[in-house]
Amino acid sequence: MKKKLVAVLLAASMIVGLTACGSGNAANSTDNSGTDNAATTDEGDANASSADATDTSNGGESSGGSGILNINLASEPDYLDPALNSSVDGGCLAVNSFAGLYTYDQNGELIPQLATAMPEVSDDGCVYTVHLMESKWSNGDDLNAQDFVYSWNRVIAEETAADYAYLFDVIARNGDALAIETPDDYTMVITLNSPCPYFNDLMAFPTFFPVHQASVEAANPDGTVPGKWAQEAGFVCNGAYTLQSWNHNESMVYVKNPNYYDAANVTMDELHFMLSADDTAIYAAYNSGDLDYIDTVPNDEISSLNGINPEFGILDNLGTYYIGFNVNDSVFDGKTVEEAAKMRHAMCLLIDRGFIVENVGQTGQVPADSFVPLGMADGNGGEFKQADTSYYDAEATGAGMLEEAVALLEEAGYTLTDNGDGSYSIDPGISITYLTNDGTGHIAIAESIQQDLAVVGISMDIQSEDWNVFLEDRKQGNFTLAREGWLADYNDPVNMLEIFTSDSGNNDMQLGKGSSAAAPAWGDYDAMINEVRNTTDFAARVNLMHEAEDMLMETWAVIPLYYYNDVYMQKSNVDGIFATVFGMKYFMYSTKN
Amino acid sequence: MVKYTIKRIILAIVSILIVSAITFFVMNIIPGGPFNKEKATSAEAQRVLEERYNLDKPLGQQYVLYMNNLIHGDWGISLHSGRDIWGEISSRFKVSARLGGMAAVVAIIIGLILGSVAALTRNKWPDRLIVFLTTLGTAMPSFILATLLLLVFCLKLGWVPVWSSSKPNYVLPIIALSLYPMAYITRLTKTSMLDALNQDYIRTARAKGVPAWKVIFKHALRNALIPVVTYIGPMVAYILTGSMVVENIFTIGGLGSSFVTSITNRDYTMIMATTIFLAILMVVANLLTDIAYKLIDPRITFE
Repeated sequence: MKKKLVAVLLAASMIVGLTACGSGNAANSTDNSGTDNAATTDEGDANASSADATDTSNGGESSGGSGILNINLASEPDYLDPALNSSVDGGCLAVNSFAGLYTYDQNGELIPQLATAMPEVSDDGCVYTVHLMESKWSNGDDLNAQDFVYSWNRVIAEETAADYAYLFDVIARNGDALAIETPDDYTMVITLNSPCPYFNDLMAFPTFFPVHQASVEAANPDGTVPGKWAQEAGFVCNGAYTLQSWNHNESMVYVKNPNYYDAANVTMDELHFMLSADDTAIYAAYNSGDLDYIDTVPNDEISSLNGINPEFGILDNLGTYYIGFNVNDSVFDGKTVEEAAKMRHAMCLLIDRGFIVENVGQTGQVPADSFVPLGMADGNGGEFKQADTSYYDAEATGAGMLEEAVALLEEAGYTLTDNGDGSYSIDPGISITYLTNDGTGHIAIAESIQQDLAVVGISMDIQSEDWNVFLEDRKQGNFTLAREGWLADYNDPVNMLEIFTSDSGNNDMQLGKGSSAAAPAWGDYDAMINEVRNTTDFAARVNLMHEAEDMLMETWAVIPLYYYNDVYMQKSNVDGIFATVFGMKYFMYSTKN
Repeated sequence: MVKYTIKRIILAIVSILIVSAITFFVMNIIPGGPFNKEKATSAEAQRVLEERYNLDKPLGQQYVLYMNNLIHGDWGISLHSGRDIWGEISSRFKVSARLGGMAAVVAIIIGLILGSVAALTRNKWPDRLIVFLTTLGTAMPSFILATLLLLVFCLKLGWVPVWSSSKPNYVLPIIALSLYPMAYITRLTKTSMLDALNQDYIRTARAKGVPAWKVIFKHALRNALIPVVTYIGPMVAYILTGSMVVENIFTIGGLGSSFVTSITNRDYTMIMATTIFLAILMVVANLLTDIAYKLIDPRITFE
């Protein structure tokens, strides 16, 4: 009897213990305030024009007050220092907490921000004069032209080791410094090496934002940790919001900056960011009403949301998802340059892009028929991609171009035998390996390509690697065929084309880098890009860029699959958020009912 | 005991040195690098960064430099974010320790109670229910449980938020983290309690008319604790290393998620520091476990 009593008491104490523990934890926790989707853009960098993101209308309650917008963009940012950031999500934080000379409006148009007007450009197109308005840093200090001169020179300084220092190459130098004069506190006279049609866009790019010199120097007197000044909440900035608290890997709270030049028009009081890259957690937080805006949606959910849930939206991006051949790979040994190009051309035509965008991408991506994406400006007032600049019919690739692909392979020296069931056998056999990083979307695309190539008897193995190893192998050329992607940093085709120059660190296709007899000669391409960078005739420049894209596509080392877009979900009671085609999202003029 | 403790501390230092050397050389052998990005870092920036972090020197020299700095209290800075490593580890560890500590306490207290109840009601319904629940708890991985808790309590019932910038809720992550060790402790306690209850000294105590609660708590449970104490060392390891998935699902910025991210990023200084820190923690946990044996059972000698 006593034994039973003890057992009952123990059970009772267990229940009490559990309850007490639960409530204790909840009370204790109140003092603690702080991957990869192939279907959408997942590249690491960017910024400049268009795409209104606010046209949804459906129910959905959200937590927080009407002046608080709860957002997820990504996990912990590496750098909040705009000079050192090279990620899209870091760029989004920068455009909301820093102000540059120029910015974008809701229509994607470039407009003055701290500049009083668009720049005055000299007749030769090389001297830009920018007049600044009077404005202040978040700590009340005055912000003037010298702050920009200091900040821009800091980016190019060797010790800063900024990824985007090359963007400043268009500006002429006075010794080690940029050729910028400041006739008075609120005027900048910037001299360029040669006319640059996209320089206005560059001035709206986060790397061109000013930083507070006194803060930077105080935090890092010996220059060894350049981003230290912006590693914790409370750093001085000049944008719409200042970072009030930062619980690493949990949350960031940005509050309205009363010293922002346009504070009177900032409609959202606070931005609360969930710092997570876990698809499930993000989507659950959105559905439970803890978040108002997300730009990560699990791939599996897209088909049940796209066109069905009005809170789901798609943004255009300026970028291309493509695959690329290593032109020096042994699979091309024994072939002439032309034969190797025909092999690649045949494989390009065999890939069913329609299937990929419909079944893997699922967000209405446009199948790509060129490397420079749709919608990119040509630097001369027009759009670069025209109806006649397609390199193949992207809608018909796959089964529709089988015969053409077979003919190309035969011209490349292979014998193809019709199996009578719509497939072919190839002699001698071709075996290639497709390199990709982990990620269900990327693998699904690889599998689709694998099936397409199998139709002509080409055997393709899929090799999936950890992200870091993948980047290393791709850069070193340790692959035959690899998945690739490029999201533009600024709105000019040269940003897409210059990645394939011989000296580019992004030339994974190894064009101009190896000694294979089957690889195309690449000196002319380098010369062409160099001319594009230096020409003063913008009309001729457009033609040169078309010629460069022709030359690139004639190698068939680069096989475009589709043009990027990006997804988001936004509660119906939220309005006024807008984004650019470079992935930058602006939250300061949003409202929440 | 003092001699034993000193011997253990020396062994611990040797273990940590071995762990640090293995980690250092293995992480440098595996492909990838700390400055690899989708859009390539310029050759000049890469050179400056390698020089700054001594990565341009031979591996052996890098290791000696690293350990020398560490001995002088300099844990270095993250190659990925430029943040001070010690500041990162200490702030993340506070979060992990709070979460893990609460999970450990819950697992121990509830495990002991359930184990005792099961032993005292052997082959009756409470015992069978507890056996069923502990089997479930042992079989279910924490990440599945965490997702399940998230779906039920956050999405279906709406009792707790999935995420909040001001009031992170630790109840669900604690349940997710503590279930497995709790189930294990329950089974351990039950087995050792049953063993203890059959001992002569228990029979003697009962024969002398000692109250039942005193027999159980003072004599049986105390002796049943030894295997449980043995498990505490591995449990700390499980909770700290197993917390990564739970931290990610519940958006908790602890050491587990930070450790995994540092490996993905090849953030060498962060990997080294976290490994050494966790190694020290494990060694200390095991040492304390051994000392606790002695306190619970004075018959145990270390010679």
